[in-house]
Amino acid sequence: MSRTLTGPVPASTLWQAKRASPDYQKAWFSAPAILLIAAVFVIPLAIVLLQSLYREGFTLQGYEQILGSTLFWRILRTTLEITLEASLISLLLGYPVAYFISQLNRTQRAIAMIFVLLPFWTSILVKSFAFIVILGEQGIVKNLLRQLLSYELSGSMVFNRIGVMVGMVHFLIPFCVFPILNNLLAQPPELRRAALIMGASRRQVFFRVTFLLSIPAIVAAAAMTVVLSIGVFVTPALLGGRRDMMVANLIDYYTREALDWNMAAALSIMLLAVSGALIWVLSRVDNADRH
Amino acid sequence: MSTTPTGTRRATIIDRISLPLKIVAGLVFAFLVAPSLVVIPMSFSDSREIMFPPRGFSWMLYREYFAGPEWVASTIESTVVATGATALSLAAGVPVAYALVRSRLFGMAIVRVFVMMPILVPTIVFALGLYIYFARLGISGSTLSLILGHAVHNVPFVVLVVIAGLRQVNPNIEVAAQVLGASVLRTFFSVVLPMIASSILAAGLFSFLISFDEVVIAWFLSSPRTMTLPIKMYSSIQWEVSAVLSAISTLLTLLSLVICVVGVALREKEA
Repeated sequence: MSRTLTGPVPASTLWQAKRASPDYQKAWFSAPAILLIAAVFVIPLAIVLLQSLYREGFTLQGYEQILGSTLFWRILRTTLEITLEASLISLLLGYPVAYFISQLNRTQRAIAMIFVLLPFWTSILVKSFAFIVILGEQGIVKNLLRQLLSYELSGSMVFNRIGVMVGMVHFLIPFCVFPILNNLLAQPPELRRAALIMGASRRQVFFRVTFLLSIPAIVAAAAMTVVLSIGVFVTPALLGGRRDMMVANLIDYYTREALDWNMAAALSIMLLAVSGALIWVLSRVDNADRH
Repeated sequence: MSTTPTGTRRATIIDRISLPLKIVAGLVFAFLVAPSLVVIPMSFSDSREIMFPPRGFSWMLYREYFAGPEWVASTIESTVVATGATALSLAAGVPVAYALVRSRLFGMAIVRVFVMMPILVPTIVFALGLYIYFARLGISGSTLSLILGHAVHNVPFVVLVVIAGLRQVNPNIEVAAQVLGASVLRTFFSVVLPMIASSILAAGLFSFLISFDEVVIAWFLSSPRTMTLPIKMYSSIQWEVSAVLSAISTLLTLLSLVICVVGVALREKEA
């Protein structure tokens, strides 16, 4: 229905023309998605917000109870610790991998990407099961140490913080590699060549050109890892111990065991606020960097 | 995953890979694939004891999986949910991706944020919302509730993949169709959709896999009657750590591998 307009047009038909314009018509293609997300995403989130303020009438009790409980503060600390440590380690391991892949030729890169994509697409339950086997008492790591070095590693490696960190880092590395690799591949190689010709050492080329240009991607990767890990539920439940409970596990406890929806909802809103704040801070860093 | 115009002749003298970098990358690669490589040999063990390296060779654990009524039922449930969720997320995601790429209307920036919200909000918060919402609507524990939850969860992924595909298509072809008298709707169905068919297929495969493996939403929404495979696995790991898990894990790894290779090939073809 595209109409070509020639000459002066009366105001009444201008509005019609606007409605008939391809931009306007194409915008209608958003309708199914908007409906679905409004009905099955926005309403549920609104319900969580309302539920967090409701317990036989409007109340802030849920929030007061949470802020006053030592259990909550301990769990929030654990959550932030795991989130930040896992994000940092994943970035430290993901960056060299992205850099390595960016230096390969097309075929080699496609093969190397399978090593990143396969874990990315592997079920978190498959990974959790595998890590229980790898890190367990009769697991590969302990058995190798026993047989090769006849060294008995004291202490457990799973169902505690070590297990959680191994699982989390494994889960997060691909999310670090993707944005950083995209950034490195998009950098014009001429810049590096120019720096080299101007007498920079390879170390200088990396730190003063490549790395600086990749900072926005590092920030994007950090934002992604923070959002992903702050709400993590399966890894601490399966690979952690009792003291590695995270906020998501506490929400689950209030919903399904304590049947206190008000507390569960208030916790969810606080989790949302914390993750929103972290994303906001990281996006500020990103913007500041660009100006 | 990504390509550049300068893709071919990158390995110049500047870009020689140093040995320490090779070692670090190699170790991380080994760490990344270790879980997949561990479960495969274990799945052919002839004992129920969980150990590595496994002893003997047999198909026992696979037989146990296919003969277990609960395992089979949960696999069927996951297949139904993933199929339904994929259909819905494509029906919503493909058109909105088209609108986002081709419509220059001012409001589209808001629409973009709106459809991407499900990946910005922690899944646990969304899952709790769905749990309370569906309980109020009286459809909690149903297969439909799982399909709806997973469909919304998958929309952003579908949109991202389809947008990438649409960016490769020359918009003048659509203009030509419209000049020749096709409506916007007709252009979308007979011109645009065929051109991005492989992106849609890739998005559908990814969506299927995400839903098939999804745990958190399913943990809140499924009932004993609608238990999905990941939920069955979750409780199995929590309570008994049964050896059958290695057979299931191997099959799931195989599914991931196939979908990941096919998906990447489909997107490469388009690029």
